[in-house]
Amino acid sequence: MDLELTSAQRTFRDDVRAFVAARLPAEIRERLRAGHPPRKEDTVTWQRILNERGWAAPHWPRKYGGAELGQMERLILMDELYRAPAPLPQVFNVTMLGPVLIEFGTPAQCDYFLPRLANLDLWFCQGFSEPGSGSDLASLRTAARRDDDHYIVNGQKIWTTTAHWADWVFALVRTNSEGRKQEGISFLLIDLKTPGITIRPIRSIDGEHHLNEVFFDEVRVPASNLVGEENRGWACAKFLLGNERTGIANVGLCRERLDYARELAGCVTQGGPRLVDDPSLRREFALLEAEIRALEVTNYRFLLTPSAQQALPAFASVLKLKGVELQQDINALLGRLAGPAGLERRSADDLAHGPLTARYFYSRAASIYGGTSEVQKDILAKAIVG
Amino acid sequence: MNFELNDEQRALQASLARMLGDRYGFEKRRTYAASAAGHDEGTWHEMGGLGLTALLVPEVHGGFGGGARDLLPVMQELGAALSLEPFLPSSVLGTTALGLAADVATQETLLPALAAGEERLAWAHDEAAGRHAPWSIETRAEPRGEGWALDGRKSNVLGAGLARHFVVSARVSGRGGEPDGCALFLADSGAAGLGCRTFRLVDDTPAGELDLRGVVARPLGDPADGAQARAAIEGTLAMGIAAVCADMVGAMQSAFRLAMDYLNTRKQFGRLIGENQALRHRAADMLVSLELARSMAIAAAVAVDQSQGDDARRDLHRAKLSVGRHARALAHAAIQLHGGIGMTEEYAVGHYLRRIHVLDQLFGDGEAHADRLAELA
Repeated sequence: MDLELTSAQRTFRDDVRAFVAARLPAEIRERLRAGHPPRKEDTVTWQRILNERGWAAPHWPRKYGGAELGQMERLILMDELYRAPAPLPQVFNVTMLGPVLIEFGTPAQCDYFLPRLANLDLWFCQGFSEPGSGSDLASLRTAARRDDDHYIVNGQKIWTTTAHWADWVFALVRTNSEGRKQEGISFLLIDLKTPGITIRPIRSIDGEHHLNEVFFDEVRVPASNLVGEENRGWACAKFLLGNERTGIANVGLCRERLDYARELAGCVTQGGPRLVDDPSLRREFALLEAEIRALEVTNYRFLLTPSAQQALPAFASVLKLKGVELQQDINALLGRLAGPAGLERRSADDLAHGPLTARYFYSRAASIYGGTSEVQKDILAKAIVG
Repeated sequence: MNFELNDEQRALQASLARMLGDRYGFEKRRTYAASAAGHDEGTWHEMGGLGLTALLVPEVHGGFGGGARDLLPVMQELGAALSLEPFLPSSVLGTTALGLAADVATQETLLPALAAGEERLAWAHDEAAGRHAPWSIETRAEPRGEGWALDGRKSNVLGAGLARHFVVSARVSGRGGEPDGCALFLADSGAAGLGCRTFRLVDDTPAGELDLRGVVARPLGDPADGAQARAAIEGTLAMGIAAVCADMVGAMQSAFRLAMDYLNTRKQFGRLIGENQALRHRAADMLVSLELARSMAIAAAVAVDQSQGDDARRDLHRAKLSVGRHARALAHAAIQLHGGIGMTEEYAVGHYLRRIHVLDQLFGDGEAHADRLAELA
């Protein structure tokens, strides 16, 4: 056992670090460091730069623009991006849809979409949740009926992150309402410019617009945009959700935010002394750091060790539960460090001031999206208690 | 011991709850928050009609001569309704400061108008560099002509744009951080040299930042009497702590009720989500938090009304520390029980977290009060 990088891995890390240092626009770096989420143009700009090296879609096959990186190299790349901090490759395109197309898509779908997904020429969003179908995703009701060589889609999706920035949505739709609810679902790619689609913004409790409702009214989708087989879309969805595990712990994000908290505590004074001089705050930093390291080693252990995965196939839930808890704890800490000066409501465009209080509020979503913490605990409980 | 409201307190609470039920539903409140004034002038007038603006005004000046225990049920209702009215800065902080510090002539001029709801004050005490440190006052006051001139900056002044006068703490001697050497002054909101940048806090509360440059102001009491000024500032902050503890309890009650209703209406996997044991246990934890906070809000109110010595101070620190922690935990849980809908601005539950975060950061956060408790031990 050892926890060292090999010399090849160290070389790769140094290569990535040098590339990021040379190519990441300072303006993007500073905005992310202050706590702002990347704007659409930040992600597009940076992903196209990464795409020059195949690092926009690092684990995809080279023929589709990927770099065929192994698990460890992917983790190193992601850590370096968080460390910078730089935007991560757009998750719906790269982590979710790309691998589904590679696994289930037709050659024509792969040839058309994959290079565009990698280069962010098309921005996809995810159309899974519905008002009545959150944790119980398979109960979804948005319907697609076959009409010759088209599907006609009617229904509603909700919590659709970045739909207002998106060109396309990959959606789960019901093509059969008989039998088991999982067996009548299909996976469709839908161009958001198609007539009959309405996108309505949802403001979150941080006052910002991240989420949307997407309404479908007699929307005609070419049958060639079906991924996999009709009524077998649940297999695509399960495959997609299973693929999220590499980034699910967000170790690098936690480390970068804690690092920023430390930096902030070194600058902010409270009636004289700096916050970082307070021993109880230093102890809090130390406790969080220990937890981050524990999560990091656990992340490596599961992702790199087949025997560990076999022993606990539901390990991704361990990573998500702990990762979310740490993200929320660190964001709450940052909200406290922002303190009274952070109470003034500011526009997201106000780059002179950090958005730490707003980010704290939005961090409460981390234990809700991508499977609530309750669902993760149910998964683990089923695995261990039966 | 007695934990019951008296008849007057109960009647006032019921009237206020009824009035807020009519005027301050969540959708109406959203329109007030979005308006230029940031609150509802009509509700403010009704509050005056109910006698709320007179609650803490001494009887000799046309008020009810009430204390923190009378304030408790009122603040709970205001917190439960996510009130945006400038009650805390004017009718609680400004009124308390005036009662504790001002000479009789000033009291005779202002307190009856405050009681009637015609005068509005704001409490300008906090300064950015102080954060949660008490007495970190750098604003200076110097004699000028027959009056005094103030120079400095005041941050997070609640209701700043709605006030006719500001009660400003300033230093006549000593250095920032020292409890002695401060005095209170009354500045006209239209005074020359007084800049007021107004904004909203993250929970929509109207607030502002004051920039004082040679602002001529009237002293409240004798500026040379440091002990009286110190007692007045301490008394005002203590009343503020008791008020926000009660406000947070009201916010907790509403968030709790919303979450319990949701558990009993939302269905997933073919059954009410409230049938899941994990969520039932979370609800039970929330109830524990609510009950503990309720108790400590009472302890804080009693400590203010019977403010004698370190025991009372300890209870105030404990209350601010523990109500803040329980309120935050409960608000997090209430959002979590709602799932996605809990994260939206169109739905009320997230607004309680925003309010609780703001209140937790006022008058010293939990850590600051833990430090002061530790010093008292």
